[in-house]
Parts: sequence; C-alpha cells; structure tokens
Amino acid sequence: MISLGFRTLLVKEIRRFLRVPGQTLATPLVTTTLYFMVFGVSIGHQLREVGGVPYARFIVPGLVLMGVIQNAYLNSASSLFVMKLQGTIVDVLVSPLSYAEILGALVLAAVVRGLLVGGITFAVAGVFTGFEVAHPLLALAVVTLAAVAFGAAGVASAIWAESFEQVNYFPTFFILPLTFLGGVFFSVRMLPPALAAVARANPIFYMVDGLRFATLGSGDGSHWAGFGLVTLLAAGALTGAYMLLRSGWRLRG
Amino acid sequence: MTEPVVHIRGLTKRYGELVALDGVDLEIRAGEIFGLLGPNGAGKTTLISVVTGLCRASSGEVRVLGRDVVRDYRFTRRNVGLVPQEINFDPFFTVEESLRFQAGYFGVKLSEARLVELLTALDLTAKRASSARALSGGMRRRLLIAKALVHEPRVLFLDEPTAGVDVELRRALWAYVRTLRDRGTTVVLTTHYLEEAEALADRIGIIDRGRLRLVEEKAALLARSAGRSLEQIYVELVGRKEVAPP
Repeated sequence: MISLGFRTLLVKEIRRFLRVPGQTLATPLVTTTLYFMVFGVSIGHQLREVGGVPYARFIVPGLVLMGVIQNAYLNSASSLFVMKLQGTIVDVLVSPLSYAEILGALVLAAVVRGLLVGGITFAVAGVFTGFEVAHPLLALAVVTLAAVAFGAAGVASAIWAESFEQVNYFPTFFILPLTFLGGVFFSVRMLPPALAAVARANPIFYMVDGLRFATLGSGDGSHWAGFGLVTLLAAGALTGAYMLLRSGWRLRG
Repeated sequence: MTEPVVHIRGLTKRYGELVALDGVDLEIRAGEIFGLLGPNGAGKTTLISVVTGLCRASSGEVRVLGRDVVRDYRFTRRNVGLVPQEINFDPFFTVEESLRFQAGYFGVKLSEARLVELLTALDLTAKRASSARALSGGMRRRLLIAKALVHEPRVLFLDEPTAGVDVELRRALWAYVRTLRDRGTTVVLTTHYLEEAEALADRIGIIDRGRLRLVEEKAALLARSAGRSLEQIYVELVGRKEVAPP
C-alpha cells in the first residue's frame, strides 16, 4: 500500500518544480527547441535523410531523451541538495518515512518532470515532423527507465555533493558529452569504424538508439541492447542511490 | 514506577577521534520538562539528534516509549517531535503548505481544526497563506515549533528554542511549553539560558564534554545548594561559564 508519507513527499516534490515553471519546464523547452530548429530544420535541409528518415525527424528521439535525462537528473539533484543546504532535509529525516519511500518519491518526481519536458519537446518537434510513433509503449518504457536511472543518479549526486558546483559535475562532465557523442545528431553508420566503436561504448548511445527504434521503427540495430542497458542502468542507479541513502553518509551524522 | 518515555543507556557517539557522547545514561519521565544544559560542543544537540533519528549512535541503547529508535524507528519517530537549533524553511511553500506536508510525512492528514489550533497557538494565523520566505526570524522559529507539533508527538525536543529570540517572544514560548507539558507532552529542551532552565524545567541535566555531570530535580538541586543560583552550580560543575546572558 502506498503510504500517505510517500504521497506527501511526491506531491511536494512535484509542486516544487511546478512553482518555478520558467526554470524547470520553459528553459529546457527553449533549449531543445533551439537545437531542433538549428540542427533539424536549418542544417537538416542540407543533410536530407539518415537511413531513409528525414534528418529533422531523425534527431527528435535524441532530443527528447536529452531533455528527459537532464531534467530527471536536475530535479532530484537540485531538490535534495537544496534541502541539505537549507536544512529542510531534517523534516524528512526525523519522519517515519523509510529510505525506499524517500528515494521512491524523489525519483518519481524526477520521472514526472523528465516526462513532461520530453513530452513537450516531442509535441513541439511533432508540429514540424509529425506525431507518429512506431512502438508507443516501448518508447514510454525507454524514456521512463532513462528518467529513473538519471533521477536516481541525481539523488546519489546530491548526497555526495557539498556545493552547487559539485552537483553540476555530473551533467557537465558526463551527461552532456555522452549525450552529444551518443548519436543524438548522427547515426553511427555515418562514422568511421574507429569512432563508431567509441560511440558504441557510450551507454547513452544505446538509449538514443532504443528510443529511435521505438519512435521511428528503425535504428542502428542496437535497440534491444539499449532497452536492456537502460533497464540495467535504472536498476543499478536505484540500488546505488538506495545504499547511499541508507548508509546515512553526509545526511545522518 | 512507570516506564520512562526516553531511556538512554551507555550512549556513545564518536566522530573520528572526537567523542561527542561518552557513555550517557539518562531517563526522561512522562510529562516533565527536562532542561539539558551545557556549553557549546558539550553534546546536547548530538544527544537529541540520536534520539530523534538525525544521527546514529556509535554504541549504546536508546528507547522511546519502550521501543528501540533504530529497529522501531517508524513507531518512535511518530511519537517524537524536534525543533532543530538552526532555523530552516522551504521558500517554495506557504505556512499552511509547510504544515500540511510535515503532517503528511508523519502519516497524518492535518485537519482544519488542528491547523487552526496550531496557527492560533503560535500566533501565525495572519501568515497562514504567506510564503515562509516572507516571515520574520521569530515567525520562522514559531513555524518550526508548529511543524514539530503537527503530528501531536508524545515527546517534544526543543534544541535551543529561544536562541536569538526577543524577550517578548521568549516569554510567549515559555508559556506555550508549559501549556504543552500541562496537556501531557513530555518536553526536553536544551538551552544556553540558565534563566530559561530555571524558569521552565522540572528536572535539570548538565552535560559537558559528552558526559552527563548531573541530573536532578530542579527544586531539590536549588534547595540543597544553599542559596546558590543555578548559574553558580553550573559554573562549579562545568568549570567555565560559556552561557549566554538572559
């Protein structure tokens, strides 16, 4: 049974990001729309098609996933870190909430924000490229699992971080480069073999490819590996964040 | 004799080489106001933190209402309220939202009657719909007390509740603490103000360098101390004053 404590923390976390929609929803929307306009619409006219798909449509799954990943991470990481900084984490730590309930509420709120941003990005892109989705349930599963993985990573990062600068290490040095090198804007088939091998070592490549298959019906041929990997990453990130939370490190003296 | 509300045996807390609590034994009785005095770094906040679940003991046993605070944490935390020393507030939410969320964390659906009662008791009625960001320091302190009481705990821990609070508010908070005690809530407060302990506490404990140096009924302590004030007794035990002026 879902406890009132869990529901309360979840509602509070969702209301928190909805209180600042300009920062939490509009900013990522503007950013990904700009990516779409610049890479998809402008440069896309020159590139025409990738694997039989118009370039503007080809990049949509990657842009959606980028929005989902970044916002899921930022939601849980910034919320928990601000709670630590302001001392309001005490309100949660002295409550009867279990670690699973605390983690579940933080991650689920991150998933909600990630899916909202991803959904809005898809809606904006869809105006230009159409709204067809080849495998809707698979697409929803991939973005949800990616949001879980990065929402849980945000929790772990916020526990570890002692400054806002440290909270930003993960998106700056991990999420952003791996997303850009993960095939958001290109197909690995366009790369020379050596670079293609490097791209295939990037976990985000498999997530992008999985979502591309789910939405467009075709990808670089690694979509099931992508689905498996994102499931493993979500399970691993949840387990890691739970262990960290349970250890009390940097939370309970 | 009734079982103590809080039962502490051999409680030790180490931070690396530093021993913050050194084998503390203490029992808090039902319905009393227990004043815990001590200089900075004596272990007052650490002691409270272990009982309320904010901090883990290195060794020893802590029970609330007969239940272990680690094994039965859901039960013990539902029966304990904490007003932390540092003022905290969530700038995203109003006073009412903050109280409703806090109640929810404890599995309590806050009734309108209870909300009004708390807002009235802590003089926050006019600020019900105000953002916590817009409150003065004194109001934020009162909001903290309201949050700690929202689930109607059997034991309330107040960690330096009147630090930095003006005289008028301090007197009002004292009156409210007495009201809580009269309604059956057990209150444990740490304070730097000897005047506060003398005015409020039924029993007094003095802690220094992680060790409890004295636990005694306030009346008996003052009676056997032949006209000496609590401040004189404190200085004799702790060896230094380090106590804020009233």
